[in-house]
Amino acid sequence: MKKSGSDILKSINLKALIESLIAIFVGFLIGAIVLLAFGYDPVTTYSALFQGALGSTTGIASTLAYSTPIMLTALTFAISARTGIFNIGAEGSFYFGAIAAVIFTNIWGNMWFGLFMGMVLGALWGLPAAFLKVYRGVHEVISTIMLNWIAWFFVLWLVVGPYANPNDPNKTLRIPPSARLPLIGNTNLSIAFIIAVFAAVLSYYILWHTILGYGMRASGLNPRAAEYGGIKPKQAIIWSFIIGGIMSGLGGAMKIMGEPPTYAISQGMANVYGYGFDGIGVALVGRNHPLGIIFAAIFFGMLRAGTPLMQIEAQVPLEIIKVIQGIIVITVAIPGLYDLIKNAITRREV
Amino acid sequence: MEEIPVLEMKGIVKIYPDGTKALKGVDLTVYQGEILGLLGENGAGKTTLMKILFGMLHPTAGKIYVKGEETRFKSPADALANGIGMVHQHFTLVEVFDALHNIILGMEGHGMFSKIDVEKAKKKLQKLMDDLNFQVPLNVPVEELPVGVQQRIEILKMLFRDVEVLILDEPTAVLTPLEVEELFQVLRKLKAEGKTIIFISHKLNEVIELTDRVTVIRKGEVIGTVKTSEATPQILARMMVGRDVVLRIQKPPKEAGKPILKVENLWVKGDRGEDAVKNLSFEVRAGEIFGIAGVEGNGQTELVEALTGLRNLERGHVILNGIDISGRSPKELYELGIAHIPEDRTHMGLILDMTVTENAILGLQWREKFKRWKGTIDWNKAKRHTNNLIGEFDIIAPGVDAPVKSLSGGNQQKLIVAREVSKQPVLIIASQPTRGVDVASTEYIRNYLVKLRNEDKAVLLVSADLDEIIQLSDRMGVMYEGEFMGVVKPEEVTTEEIGMMMGGIKYEEIRK
Repeated sequence: MKKSGSDILKSINLKALIESLIAIFVGFLIGAIVLLAFGYDPVTTYSALFQGALGSTTGIASTLAYSTPIMLTALTFAISARTGIFNIGAEGSFYFGAIAAVIFTNIWGNMWFGLFMGMVLGALWGLPAAFLKVYRGVHEVISTIMLNWIAWFFVLWLVVGPYANPNDPNKTLRIPPSARLPLIGNTNLSIAFIIAVFAAVLSYYILWHTILGYGMRASGLNPRAAEYGGIKPKQAIIWSFIIGGIMSGLGGAMKIMGEPPTYAISQGMANVYGYGFDGIGVALVGRNHPLGIIFAAIFFGMLRAGTPLMQIEAQVPLEIIKVIQGIIVITVAIPGLYDLIKNAITRREV
Repeated sequence: MEEIPVLEMKGIVKIYPDGTKALKGVDLTVYQGEILGLLGENGAGKTTLMKILFGMLHPTAGKIYVKGEETRFKSPADALANGIGMVHQHFTLVEVFDALHNIILGMEGHGMFSKIDVEKAKKKLQKLMDDLNFQVPLNVPVEELPVGVQQRIEILKMLFRDVEVLILDEPTAVLTPLEVEELFQVLRKLKAEGKTIIFISHKLNEVIELTDRVTVIRKGEVIGTVKTSEATPQILARMMVGRDVVLRIQKPPKEAGKPILKVENLWVKGDRGEDAVKNLSFEVRAGEIFGIAGVEGNGQTELVEALTGLRNLERGHVILNGIDISGRSPKELYELGIAHIPEDRTHMGLILDMTVTENAILGLQWREKFKRWKGTIDWNKAKRHTNNLIGEFDIIAPGVDAPVKSLSGGNQQKLIVAREVSKQPVLIIASQPTRGVDVASTEYIRNYLVKLRNEDKAVLLVSADLDEIIQLSDRMGVMYEGEFMGVVKPEEVTTEEIGMMMGGIKYEEIRK
């Protein structure tokens, strides 16, 4: 066990870890300047943030609950990125996972069945972009953006049409109590968080300890060499879309099945929108490493969970908090960008 | 020689930002009207030194004197203004432009809308070409021209800028023997006109044939400068590598065994849909090295890719040990006993951002010996395997978990050879196995290929390095435009005859 522990450490780029931590710190610093510029006290604001996110059981529970869906959508992005694919289709698979949970738990009120079908639909929704990429050379950014909209309107139709709740037209049918994810202790946090962490660890295992994952990473870094090594890059790409779709589908299903008190998709899909995109940011901060993503997601969850108290105690508007989040994402991107430029220059020199 | 040197470099030191000491105080003197050879192994610092002279790099310390005056070059433009021009190993031509526009590029004036006087430039260029008897087609896009002509355009580009000193970085690497001879004639002519030439190379024979003096660099230091007339290949080789190089590989005579690989009427298409390999048939037997010589781009790459499952066959058959392997995937071929040392180390042979271990199992990842349970890799087993390879092949690596890009080129190549041999193949296809590899590793790899042959493996060696083919092969085919001009035993032909075959003359015609 000790040996595999050191293996995990080796898969993590220590320099990247330190850079990410520094970037978060710098992000907070710039955030503080922004707060000052708008006349808010950074100390009060930040202490309200940490108070709200970590100061109580409820706070911690809400931090972790917020982190769950974006952890999974971040895995979608990261798994594809490791395979050399810029997959921003997590959003669409997330919708399908959510609606799958609604549809199938109302057929059979079993939690595992609901999660399973969420993953299946999520994975299936990954396939069109995968096939377009592999067999027609359509760039995945274009196809996934368009497919996200197709998913949006199709699921929206299901939400307001066939699966609208006859008793509460603002929502879809609710997840039957027998299929809801159990809550942990006396909180609103469901076991969804634990499943998400497990999914991240599993993703790590797939990428770094299986032949499939080896092939995916090889294809991502150098498709030509991968082919030479007997790997089929096209297959690796399809697998990355499938596994990625599973993660987001699971995220969507758990968002609905594991979040009291709603247990349904709300009107306009407000409670399922945007998690796929947030996941990109999380993956970026987590440097596309599944284990980094666990912490990055919790960090994002903290910012979200701390928001109410920041608004109440420090009177900071939501927008400013979003600004700080944005600043952190950008500062974290800077080391990567720096590497890129440095490499370009040294290549020219040598 | 009391004359003032046209160029002098004194105490040049270059330390790269990553701490690499590329040059450790180099002195170089160049006299008017001479051809100076700059000889050294790969990575000795030749190119770095010349890039400093051409203003592309800035020295960490040291001084440059042009005609006795201290000068600092901020950029290649400065160097050009001082009459120093350079032709790079990798050409810097705009492929879709014709020669004329490539040559005047950068001289069109400074205003955004200033008019380019093409006619005047053309006249000057024509005169230059006539004076030198050095013609290139001016209105054909350069991408359609042979490499040798592209190189002439590069040289003309410099002459057009009235340079006095011309630096040529490994100019013969891409040329056929005939083109090399033509290049040498041009360089001699330029010398007669009073131009000064710095000729960078690691090819001993060329340096001896062409230059007046040779400065040898090793590991960033000048080992010495000798008059070429007083130098022998042995002397230069010793200076270059610091020991006597075994220029000849020990190869005991050996009867070849049964055919391992049979290629029958093979046709393969190139990337642009042209017939790259045309009706090729040959066989490689157990215990022999079959060499394929030829100028690069005559179908060797396509042939190797077709044999290793990386490219579709058009027509014909490939038979390995009696099994038809046409159209099989690389994975299947590895399992049937083929190993492949690819020509492109960094783009195909290795995944530079992966670790040494991860690279050491590329193509072996399914093997039982690395399995933990179904579909998973036991990295401890993989590391043990990697450590064995490192030990057995004397690979210098910081560790099995270090990225493979931290290894030197020679050690990277040794790792590839080690990995391929660990596939326990019956047939080894080695494509340019020593290109860009230092002398010691080259020697090691060549000896290893002979060892494999002595162990009754079949070896197919494809190389643009004629010495390599001649030294190693038991039989050799010379490839020209997708066909063999002849299949011969190297000891039965002269280098000149091989050169003629490389230039497209059939062996039967030569022997007539």
